[in-house]
Amino acid sequence: MARSSVSPSRTWPTDGWTVADEILALDGICAGYLGEDVVHDVSVTIAEGEAVAVIGSNGAGKTSLFRAVCGLLATSSGRVRFGGADITGSKVHRIARAGLAYVPAERQLFPEMSVRDNLFLGSYPQRPDPERLELVFGLFPRLAERKRQHAGTMSGGEQQMLAVGRSLMTNPRLLMLDEPTTGLAPKLAAEAYAALAELRSHGLTVLVAEQNVPLALGLAERGYVLENGRIQLAGTSAELVGNPDVRRAYLGVS
Amino acid sequence: MKAAIFDGIVLGLQYGLLGVGLTLVFGLAGVLNLAHGQLAVLAAIIAALTIDAGSSAGVAALVGILCAAVIGLLLDRTLMQPVYRLRGESRVLLGLLLMLGVAFVIDGFLEWRYPIEALSLRIGGDPVPILGVNMRVGSLWASGIALAAGAALLFFFRGTTTGRAVRSVIQNEEGAQLCGINPAFVRGLIFALSGALAGLVAITRSMTSPVTVTEGITLTTLALIVAVVGGLGSVSGAFLAGILLGIVDRVSSFYIGTYITTIFLLAAAAITIVVRPAGLLAPRR
Repeated sequence: MARSSVSPSRTWPTDGWTVADEILALDGICAGYLGEDVVHDVSVTIAEGEAVAVIGSNGAGKTSLFRAVCGLLATSSGRVRFGGADITGSKVHRIARAGLAYVPAERQLFPEMSVRDNLFLGSYPQRPDPERLELVFGLFPRLAERKRQHAGTMSGGEQQMLAVGRSLMTNPRLLMLDEPTTGLAPKLAAEAYAALAELRSHGLTVLVAEQNVPLALGLAERGYVLENGRIQLAGTSAELVGNPDVRRAYLGVS
Repeated sequence: MKAAIFDGIVLGLQYGLLGVGLTLVFGLAGVLNLAHGQLAVLAAIIAALTIDAGSSAGVAALVGILCAAVIGLLLDRTLMQPVYRLRGESRVLLGLLLMLGVAFVIDGFLEWRYPIEALSLRIGGDPVPILGVNMRVGSLWASGIALAAGAALLFFFRGTTTGRAVRSVIQNEEGAQLCGINPAFVRGLIFALSGALAGLVAITRSMTSPVTVTEGITLTTLALIVAVVGGLGSVSGAFLAGILLGIVDRVSSFYIGTYITTIFLLAAAAITIVVRPAGLLAPRR
């Protein structure tokens, strides 16, 4: 899969959002388990350098959608384009090597390996780039302090940092995070989002699935509301925060 | 007693080398390779036939090891493919049954075509005294090769990028995929490595006693016991378990009799399963 820096011309209508510099485009994605779709006809476009949130309650299909994008869940219809190439049905490791990094809510670390080895594996098959490693350690000084500790013995917050750090070592063009605040205390959740905001300032494109709507919309420029596997609403973060339905369902304001 | 312990260590290093090939494939692919011993015997017979054809022992040994590695890779690429589509218990069960079939096929083929073939790589020379115990040269060679193989494996898994990638797939396959690691490549690599280790153990074993065509089931059973005691998936555990079991084997046959050793080995495995179900050095999960 070539890493093309040339932005491709759009070949299909997406969600009506004008995107000059598309990096990820989902066109009518349906996906599910055992022949039963849980994601229905989802179309999303993300431009290079954007931060976008997918918000929705538990079981809305956020995780299934993300897994379908990165190849862990087969799509039953629709196309996924990443960096101008059609990656529908590609193998997970090929999609990862093409620069799409996915941080699952379960983190999927290597528990019996040190922090250092976990990070090194992010740059597989290349040798770890010292500059990237410095960037990760700069972002998460905790990881630098605990280089030798086994990933499995770390706290939830540290594991989340390591999962993000490892995905940064893959040198991603797009970082997809599924519920990065799962199991974190409010203070740690805010810290996690502060780190993501710093990554944004480095120009990284971020797509985040989140139940914690205030944090997600604080980071993202725009968002999609996913309910029962369908996109119910799309708009800028300001629009979504101002929407009465969103306020009632996700912000606890009536 | 001292001689029995030394003999036990020599034997135990062979047990470790035998168990490590089985333990790696189980840890990585969830396949209990019940044809591991048969693969070793096949390598031995291929080496013996190569010698019969006029080759030197060294070349013949390499041919045997290489053939076993290729057969391991072929098993992964063909027969094991339906196994990988399953998960959990059904995966273990199908892998176990298919490999049992492979064991029968190899056993049957060898006993049909080469019933009296055997590999014996005698290494001449006077016994060497070590700490007052006279050790046969063949035993020392076999132990040296097993130790070198163990050290090479540890270096591979701890110190190389590919070795780390293998461990990552063992620990979390999905996480490994997300790092850009191809589990299918890693499985092929480990099946080939496991085959090569089976071939190697056939070669080193033939330095102390002939490897005959009927020995497959014995070797498979020993590999299983070693892997269970060492913890399925642990390289250093397999070698530690091998050495302990080797000492149990030699000491019990020295004091009681050869007929009892298998029972003692099985008892050691049973006790391990009760006391430390995940093995001596099993990865904590």
